[in-house]
Amino acid sequence: MKNVMALVFANIYDSSLGQLTNKRTLASLPFGGRYRQIDFALSNLSNAGVRHIGIVTQYNYQSLMNHIGAGEEWDLELEEGGLEYITPYSMGISTTFRGKLEAIYAATKSFLAIGKEEYVILADAAVVCAINLDEVIQAHIDSGRDVTVVVKSGIANGQKQLDLAVSLDEDGEISDMAVDYAAPSEFLASMGIFVMRKELLMEAAEACVAHNRYRFERDFILQDWADGKLSVGAWEFGDVAFFNESTEEYFRNNLAIIDRNIRHSLYRDDLTIYTRVRDQVPTYYGEGSEVDDCIVADGCTLLGRVENSVLFRGVRVSTGAVVKNCVVMSRSEIGIGAQLEYCILDKEVRISAGVKLIGTPEHPVILNRGDVV
Amino acid sequence: MNFPKKRCVAMLLAGGQGSRLLVLTENTAKPAVPFGGKYRIIDFPLSNCVNSGIDTVGILTQYQPLELNEYIGNGQPWGLNRSHGGVSVLPPYARSKKSEWYKGTANAIYQNIPFIERYDPENVLILSGDHIYRMDYARMLAFHESRDADITIAVRKVPMEEASRFGIMNTNPDDSIYEFEEKPKHPKSNNASMGIYVFKWSVLKKYLVEDENNPNSDNDFGKNVIPAILADGGRMFAYHFDGYWKDVGTIHSLWEANMETLGLHPAFDLNGGEGRIYARNYALPATYIDTHSKNVNCLIAEGCEIYGDIRHSVISTGCRVGREVKIEDSVIMPNVVIEDGAIIRNAIIGEGCHICSGAVIGGTFREDEQRQISVLGKNHRIEINQVVKPGEVL
Repeated sequence: MKNVMALVFANIYDSSLGQLTNKRTLASLPFGGRYRQIDFALSNLSNAGVRHIGIVTQYNYQSLMNHIGAGEEWDLELEEGGLEYITPYSMGISTTFRGKLEAIYAATKSFLAIGKEEYVILADAAVVCAINLDEVIQAHIDSGRDVTVVVKSGIANGQKQLDLAVSLDEDGEISDMAVDYAAPSEFLASMGIFVMRKELLMEAAEACVAHNRYRFERDFILQDWADGKLSVGAWEFGDVAFFNESTEEYFRNNLAIIDRNIRHSLYRDDLTIYTRVRDQVPTYYGEGSEVDDCIVADGCTLLGRVENSVLFRGVRVSTGAVVKNCVVMSRSEIGIGAQLEYCILDKEVRISAGVKLIGTPEHPVILNRGDVV
Repeated sequence: MNFPKKRCVAMLLAGGQGSRLLVLTENTAKPAVPFGGKYRIIDFPLSNCVNSGIDTVGILTQYQPLELNEYIGNGQPWGLNRSHGGVSVLPPYARSKKSEWYKGTANAIYQNIPFIERYDPENVLILSGDHIYRMDYARMLAFHESRDADITIAVRKVPMEEASRFGIMNTNPDDSIYEFEEKPKHPKSNNASMGIYVFKWSVLKKYLVEDENNPNSDNDFGKNVIPAILADGGRMFAYHFDGYWKDVGTIHSLWEANMETLGLHPAFDLNGGEGRIYARNYALPATYIDTHSKNVNCLIAEGCEIYGDIRHSVISTGCRVGREVKIEDSVIMPNVVIEDGAIIRNAIIGEGCHICSGAVIGGTFREDEQRQISVLGKNHRIEINQVVKPGEVL
């Protein structure tokens, strides 16, 4: 058993994805044709041999639990270790967690303290990537620092507000740190992955919560680093990582995996991404179908034209329909001759024959689960 | 421990060497041969069991059992990971004096009497591991019980002119069987046995023991056990089934059954009807379809990258189809790589094959010609511009 346990944050902040997260956590948001966002965090951990995982979730977690269950798909259904859900109400707390520190504190007695592991790794389900966490863990141990944070360049752009961003000097040492800030592009964004000794995390959570400090990045990492009490190292990740924190990003990033290089960076032979299995038949491509540059999951029936789109399982595109630049979730049906461009269809949406819906890349048309148009 | 008596235990005969499937069964037991893009042949009877409420299945296997064992695992994909019952792979017992192979279908069941007795079943359902069909065994079982039958045999109507190729059940108006003829020259009826039997366990056990003690017996259900029960005046009934059913024991029938899953209203709809077909699923991303590819009337499973043209074919999980590849009327089994410009027609390409660019496999046939299927065994490599002739088997 690996000497590391993990906490995965499923939905500390869900508000920015609006209607897509009305009835599900950010973690269980479908991504890339057959995954939920949390599959990536769980698979990264499982691939690194981390098999003792607490999933912190606050509300709307039914779809998450349905998806993950006992974690069999990730090899997490173990006698010892395995998977636990950490929710406010199961911890004797009658309000939601205001920030990660409150959640960590709530998880201390029932989860963190019980584990025999020496280290803990924190991960964020909203960041989609395939990362070798073994390398991160080893680098952290070798560095002798208190905390290692995984960072990525190219995310900070002066507009996107980040939980934590750092700038590095020539030696790769953190020279500046900013929280809740639209950092300029020379900053590197935190990917929400932190490694540290478990004792340190538990003590910090207790001390912080006692002083009404509940934001992990702001009240612990930044403050203690600025006060010289905490040594923090940055580990730079060079491959593809998606931060799906707004509808626009979610839409853009789903379509981005159509690109071969991006797709192959996310779906690597050496880092398998696991997900809940659904028994679906292979997809059927009919006589008049025309499918160009698409990601297509199993169980679809494609009779019309689909271009530059991501189709989840069991989607039906009827004869004469045109679907362009769309993300279509499971079991949605597009009627004869309908035309869709720049749309996100949540699950089980039905588009009637002849309907025309045109969004824009910045503002895709979003249809809620079960909508009939 | 005391467990409740089981109403029915299923025994799946998966042991055939499958030599008519040639290279496809060289290192693979017949039931583990891929089918329909993401399934294996055994998924069909196993899923039928689960969908019929039968939760105890023994799989009898002796040739190349490793892959089958690994595929079945603990039975979780079929919901058969039960604490009492579930699915068990049963190789021949290694006896203290000699390791004994299964001599025939009846002997395979005979050797596993202790397994069946553990569940103290009323009935035993005997299935074959090389048929593609969807069937509710619960209805057959209810029929069997309502007639208080010793054996019920599933039959289907075949064209009269083909009846001499099958085991034919001659029945009375009440569906009781008065005669069983194996491949009769002059068939009296066209009720062909499907190789699916429900036995009253107490009756079957008695005849299995008698059959085993008869040194002249081939220990075969069709040849020995069923005629013996009939000769003794046992209550034997025919259960009529009129859904899709196919014995995929030959290259041509395996190819044909795959082709029959294609179309908007296919002869065998993998998706339709009662009961889902379960399979072991692997962690693969969704399939990518490139802008230069053109796919017409085909099934393509997950985990593929498709750059070429595919017509009237089945492409299984994890395949890569390069640019300007043409695939027609073919079955591509899992994890096959087909490089740019290769042409594949009327072929079955085994798992893990690698087809280099410019290779040409198989040919085309006129309607009035006998189709010849080219076949590549598992993990075969076809070199650049190599030609595999129509009907050639490598």
